[in-house]
Amino acid sequence: MNSYLSFLQVFGGASLLLYQSFHESFRRPLYFKLILEQIYMVGVKSLPLVLITALSTGMVMALQFGLGLEKFGGKLYVPKIVSLSIIREMGPVFTSLMLAARVGAGITSEIGSMMVTQQIDAIRALGTSPIKKIVIPRILACLIALPLLCAFANAIGVYGGMYVGYNDLGLDPQFYMQKVFQTITLADYMSGFGKTFFFALFIAVISCYFGLNIKGGTKGVGTATTKSVVTASIFILVGDYFLTKFFWIIEQWLS
Amino acid sequence: MAVIDVKNFAKSFDGKPVHKNVSFQVKEGECLGLLGGSGVGKSVVLRSLIGLEKPDSGEIFIEGEEISNFSEHQLIPIRTKVAYVFQNGALFDSMSVFENLAYPLREHTKLNESEIKNRIHEQLTEFGLEDAEFKSPSQLSGGMQKRVGLARSIIIRPKVVLYDEPTAGLDPYNTVKIQEMILRMKDKGVTSVFVTHDMPSAFNVCDRMVLLLNGAVAAEGTVEELNKDPDGLLQRFVRGERA
Ligand SMILES: Nc1ncnc2c1ncn2[C@@H]1O[C@H](COP(=O)(O)OP(=O)(O)OP(=O)(O)O)[C@@H](O)[C@H]1O
Ligand SMILES: [Mg+2]
Repeated sequence: MNSYLSFLQVFGGASLLLYQSFHESFRRPLYFKLILEQIYMVGVKSLPLVLITALSTGMVMALQFGLGLEKFGGKLYVPKIVSLSIIREMGPVFTSLMLAARVGAGITSEIGSMMVTQQIDAIRALGTSPIKKIVIPRILACLIALPLLCAFANAIGVYGGMYVGYNDLGLDPQFYMQKVFQTITLADYMSGFGKTFFFALFIAVISCYFGLNIKGGTKGVGTATTKSVVTASIFILVGDYFLTKFFWIIEQWLS
Repeated sequence: MAVIDVKNFAKSFDGKPVHKNVSFQVKEGECLGLLGGSGVGKSVVLRSLIGLEKPDSGEIFIEGEEISNFSEHQLIPIRTKVAYVFQNGALFDSMSVFENLAYPLREHTKLNESEIKNRIHEQLTEFGLEDAEFKSPSQLSGGMQKRVGLARSIIIRPKVVLYDEPTAGLDPYNTVKIQEMILRMKDKGVTSVFVTHDMPSAFNVCDRMVLLLNGAVAAEGTVEELNKDPDGLLQRFVRGERA
């Protein structure tokens, strides 16, 4: 009951924050420099982590499927299965989860510390808006960086699969890529890629919300950071089911 | 018309009342001393005057405008007119001292870069902080941070300044400097509220004083009046007797 209430509280508070951010983003001035700074922090700095995650995911999946399917003579299906699962699911979801951990934690603890040291109050007292100065740049940066990171992750993940296919399973790279391109449709790509915009919103809004609603000084920053990462991850994982369904309906409807 | 007019202000936190019924006025060009024991809620009053805190009930007028129901957006012009000097500086620790001081100038004035530089140098010199310009706040002592915070609040030349214990923790030399600065601001017609535990400073700069006790104004008077009545509540507070 208690956790149900606190979920509602987080959900309501985060929705309100998203609404306020949307509303304020139409008011001058928008701080482009702050947005660029955040894109650098969120996007460029997360690139190594995301690439390593994607590469190893692709490689491990190719290895598992290759070894598993070999018994049934199904090795030739590896390119199809691996690339499809990466493009539709693993790429977007793993990238988002890594970002929820790295960026979500960073945002919550940074904003939380600013709350504790009254810097957020100072932003307000100096006649400026924390939503504009802090929240909007982070939301936009996540919205821009996460899809791009996902595109890189997809490519690297497929490459990892191909590398294992060649190295350990004896599949010709050219054959592998041909199969990949035959299999993956635009709908496949978009149904995975499209989710990342939603995941980006989950991460940015939830981590800003927890940062701005810190309670209990420095200790609160630690608790809030943990909660923020857990909540964003749950939103990503649960949201993934509904978004998959949503994109599936759209696919059906379009074809 | 009073510049600041607080009527029947009440505020509680987590069900615990801090203020029950506080009313006072500050006239144009006046410096009002706001006194009271630690934890009596002086900072809460100052924060409420610029809308950082919303009253539970009562009214707050700033130059005739009732601000307690203002949105954050409506409060922006109030906050450029009324500056709040944070008790501990509240500097942006991701920016240098220079950038901290440039922040309000870039937001609220049309000054160009070289004018901003000049204004900042002027302000830093006034506070004896020339060497701090390119340091980050974490490299400064507590007293220096406090003075930078003060400089940041007044650099856009507000009409009203709310000082939250600006001299606490400063050495005697800098305390006198701050007093002189507040008096200079007063000469320029700036209205101010001065929260402090530092009685000599209060008597040097204030025209009138208000004593908060148990969530209400317990005593009020001009400095002359206070000096005349040695058995008044305020005098006893000043002497350190239990009020
Ligand atoms: N955000 C808050 N949440 C809960 N309680 C608060 C909050 N802000 C202030 N209080 C409470 O309000 C009371 C008054 O606090 P305030 O900071 O205004 O005191 P003060 O008079 O400025 O004291 P000092 O002279 O020590 O600075 C304190 O009991 C404090 O616990
Ligand atoms: Mg205080």
